[in-house]
Amino acid sequence: MMLALLTLWLLSVLIFLGGHLLPGNVGRAMLGPLADQAAVDVLNHEMGTDRPLLVQYLDWIAGFLTGDLGQSYAYRSPVAPFLMTALLNSAKLAAVAFVLVVPLGILGGVVAALYRGRAADRILSVVGLSATVVPEFVSGIVLILIFGIWLRWFPISATWVDGAGPLTQLYHLILPAIPLVLILFGYIARMARAGMIEALDADYTRTAVLKGLSYPKVIWRHVLRNALLPTISVIATQTVYLIGGLVVIEILFHYQGIGSLIYTAAKKKDFPMLQAGVMSIGALFALTTFLADLLYARLNPRIRFGGRE
Amino acid sequence: MTDLPTPVEAAAPEHGWRDDLRRLRGSVSFVVGAVIVLFWVGCAVFGQSLVPFDPFADDLMNSLMPPSSEHWFGTDQLGRDVFSRVIVGARDILTVAPIATLLSTILGTALGLTMGYFGGLIDEVSSRLVDAVLALPTVIVALLALTALGTSTFTVLVVIAFSFAPIIARTVRSAVLSEVSLDYVAAAELRRENTLYILFIEILPNVMPPILVETTVRLGYAIFTVATLSFIGFGIQPPSPDWGLSISANYGLIGGGFWWAVLFDCLAIASLVVGINLVADGMESTLND
Amino acid sequence: MTINHRLLDILRRGRSPHENHLIDGLVRGAFSRREFLRYGSVLGLSAPLLGGITSAVGFGLAPSMARAGTPGGTIRYGQIVPAAAVNPVTVADGGGLTVLSQFGETLVFSAPDLSAQPLLAESWAPNADGTVWTFKLRQNVKFHNGKVMTADDVVATFDRLSDPEMGSNALSVFTGVLSKGGTRKVDDYTVEFHLDAANGSFPYAVSTDNYNSIIIPAEFPEDFEATMVGTGPFKLEKYTPKVGASFVRNTDYWGPAPLPDRVEATFYGDYQPQILALQGGAIDVIQQLPVLQAVALLNDPNFTIISTPSSAHQQVHMRTDMDPFKDKRVRQAVALTLDRPKIIAGLMRGKAQIGNDSPFMPAFPSTNPSVPQRQQDIAQAKQLMEAAGVGAGFQTTLTTEKYLEIPDYAVLIQNAVKEIGIDLQLNIMDQGTYYGDAVFGKSPWLDSSMGISDYGHRGVPNLFLQAPLMSGGPWNSAHFNNAEYDALVKGFVASLDLESQRATAGQIQTLLLDETPLIQAYFYDFLTVTKAGATGVVPTAMGHLMLGQASL
Repeated sequence: MMLALLTLWLLSVLIFLGGHLLPGNVGRAMLGPLADQAAVDVLNHEMGTDRPLLVQYLDWIAGFLTGDLGQSYAYRSPVAPFLMTALLNSAKLAAVAFVLVVPLGILGGVVAALYRGRAADRILSVVGLSATVVPEFVSGIVLILIFGIWLRWFPISATWVDGAGPLTQLYHLILPAIPLVLILFGYIARMARAGMIEALDADYTRTAVLKGLSYPKVIWRHVLRNALLPTISVIATQTVYLIGGLVVIEILFHYQGIGSLIYTAAKKKDFPMLQAGVMSIGALFALTTFLADLLYARLNPRIRFGGRE
Repeated sequence: MTDLPTPVEAAAPEHGWRDDLRRLRGSVSFVVGAVIVLFWVGCAVFGQSLVPFDPFADDLMNSLMPPSSEHWFGTDQLGRDVFSRVIVGARDILTVAPIATLLSTILGTALGLTMGYFGGLIDEVSSRLVDAVLALPTVIVALLALTALGTSTFTVLVVIAFSFAPIIARTVRSAVLSEVSLDYVAAAELRRENTLYILFIEILPNVMPPILVETTVRLGYAIFTVATLSFIGFGIQPPSPDWGLSISANYGLIGGGFWWAVLFDCLAIASLVVGINLVADGMESTLND
Repeated sequence: MTINHRLLDILRRGRSPHENHLIDGLVRGAFSRREFLRYGSVLGLSAPLLGGITSAVGFGLAPSMARAGTPGGTIRYGQIVPAAAVNPVTVADGGGLTVLSQFGETLVFSAPDLSAQPLLAESWAPNADGTVWTFKLRQNVKFHNGKVMTADDVVATFDRLSDPEMGSNALSVFTGVLSKGGTRKVDDYTVEFHLDAANGSFPYAVSTDNYNSIIIPAEFPEDFEATMVGTGPFKLEKYTPKVGASFVRNTDYWGPAPLPDRVEATFYGDYQPQILALQGGAIDVIQQLPVLQAVALLNDPNFTIISTPSSAHQQVHMRTDMDPFKDKRVRQAVALTLDRPKIIAGLMRGKAQIGNDSPFMPAFPSTNPSVPQRQQDIAQAKQLMEAAGVGAGFQTTLTTEKYLEIPDYAVLIQNAVKEIGIDLQLNIMDQGTYYGDAVFGKSPWLDSSMGISDYGHRGVPNLFLQAPLMSGGPWNSAHFNNAEYDALVKGFVASLDLESQRATAGQIQTLLLDETPLIQAYFYDFLTVTKAGATGVVPTAMGHLMLGQASL
């Protein structure tokens, strides 16, 4: 936990410095090249961006620690509501992606493990790994072309009308989720396959079979659970990666999530927004790593089986 | 990748690189991948002189023409030949991504060798730093760095080199850990060879196979990253016929039915990354046997 | 064409010398009917009077009423997300302006045909030398908070905008034109503008041509975004920054009853998703689409494209104070390599008007049509290069921004100048980097030896003539320094009658063609897209979208 906090603090310094190295000044960036210089100066003074860097940093970090994320330069209103909406939207998209990919990935891994070394295994592995390296915008555009424009099965914009029900929201999120599914499938299937093979070869599986349990039951009760373990760690490590992917997906599908929030904040030099966005990713990273460790410990077969036998 | 140093003189104790190469030729995925990659490398090197049209020449009266016998992939919004642009479009990404990968390999290998050989505090501190770097997605790091330092190919190189080096370092470190206890290292230490000699002349050749595999995998991701950055406007800049850039410039047209302005570029990127991945897969399964 | 002199004499009665001069010009055939209507409206002649005069001269006023739409329903439109807070004092971007135009109104409406039409002002007139303009206000106008609009609100609005302390974006229009305190109340419904210098086109400075000039109550609310009090046909219902806004019919509206019950605005970061949303039926109108994107919809019968001519253009500058463009013959040679009709047809899909390397686009009434149009002439360009001593060509860099079709235009220029031996490297950066700090020495825009910058629409060329071209002008990226030019522009801005404006314009156009500090190859149209069958959608090339009489 200490390490995670240290990492976060380092991150905050880096982000702050990075943000303030951006060329051009804030007022100018906000008002545009043709705005009057007097207007720019007044704005810079109002926002306090003409103060020394250290003062601005301390002010920001103090606010951050007390839960005040600051005011967006671009919208002149608090950052927090924007960040919350964006995180919620991204969480929805990520949830759809995970709900699709986790069962698929595990199924793929289990099948590959059961047919170890045979054609099905090879094909799953090659296809899975190939999908993993194709950039999201490439698969996204091909999907838009096929399912959005030619077949017209899915809407091409992920944004739904205000007040749309969960099903409509889901319908809008399927197409954007698929590129993420494609990327993650390979990882999860691979980890599930490895975990599965290890479990299949393990003593307790042989013991269970010898005890007279039926093969499918053994797989279901012992092997699958153990195949889940590495999958959880993949999900934990890939959450951060997923957010990187969200930048592109959210731009492509016009979705107001954390990725597009960071992207537009960077483009508009809206530092408070940018800093809050990137910090929240750092925090998310720390949190998912921590949760994955907890979960991992709970599900660890050695602990469970060691305790019982 | 062909220009990577190959460990010639100091053969690994188990089997020689010639063996590996022979067995690689038997790997289907390696061969298929290599053919795809070599095709694009060929396009990058010789494409400009082979294509039917100048990929930069505009022909405004023939813009956005669908694929035909004259323009196999149609024309873009300035009337430029899409086929010629896709072929020549391999050039920039196949320059930037390999250089970035090479830089990250050099950096990562040096770091990994040091971490694995010395262990202790150096290892501990470096590992934490590596974790910190990995806490943010590469695209976000690149976005921050590129807005801070300005969009330039140099910045793209540096960002990718620094984001990928830790990952390579991790691989090298674990490979080195299994080597340090071996006799030949101890022998070299007894001979009082200097540390750099031990690291780079004795150990490095023996950890070369995993480094090669990791480098190839990273190359795939470097292409992934450069293409993505070009797509969001922070990578390769116009008027390059680069694929990611062309897609970014033209994807607004797909709603109007001008699919040819983006689809072929998409397929080009996909085939290149898949090709590299197949090569890596082939290498990995061969070398791990 | 028969001229009814008796009617004309009656109509002339009580008109100022400037106005009679204009009528003379019409009678003599110096201006077309269109130009007369447009300029007459600037001088404050009312529409019925203008119609009377033109029919007396034998033109007849064409009926301009479109078919009436059906009331009711919700109009859903898409627009680019406002770049900053929606605050009438500081708004400096098209996205913010489009939102303002839903609920706010200006004194004068700069119509798509570039004529000045009464909006919150009923009429206006200059004094003899054009230094004082008197505006009569409408009397039945109520703000959305129920308060009646009077001269006090107008004075407060313009004092705010011309006060350097307020940091208003309108200072770029008002500096040297209108100072704080220059706006004076005469009575509750009459306002006088005492200008810093004579100005023949002042009504445009308080029209929709000025981003910031909507009239808001004298007591400017602290949190404007929460209330958005204006006088327009719609009242704010809900505003969600970055996402969208909704407006409902203002039942107290002073003008014709608004047709739609509601207007819903959805904000987009880019154009592509708007096209997809329109195609998918999620929105009915796209407020503005660059031609590059509109290509996708140009031939689609399900949609109508409203094409509004504008003076917006991509300005190419060449530094006149340093090599390689120091010699004007080199600059002329570069301008001669461009095939303008082809660029308009191919790059702009015909949705543009040809430019003649000066801000005077063909649609401005003050533009002098007798100045010959520059055409592609490679042979002459090569001769000029030889004469300038650079016949072998040279290498240089074109610096520009990634915005609209500019990167493509840059490629076309790069290919064109290859013909005369110039090896042009392109350095295309993002918009923020290109404009930098927007001051000399800290901005690639102002410092590069050659560059392309985007200029938005203005109803009169004054701004284009001053800031980017006058000696020491703040946007003078060509570093053009020419005393004769400066004097001509001062004369142009001050002159109140169209004939002398046009004469000066001819001199300016000729001078700029000769010097060629800038290349203006085309002025692109402002494109708005609606569902087929929609009526009453009125866009302006500034970025307003007026939906009061819209119906689907």
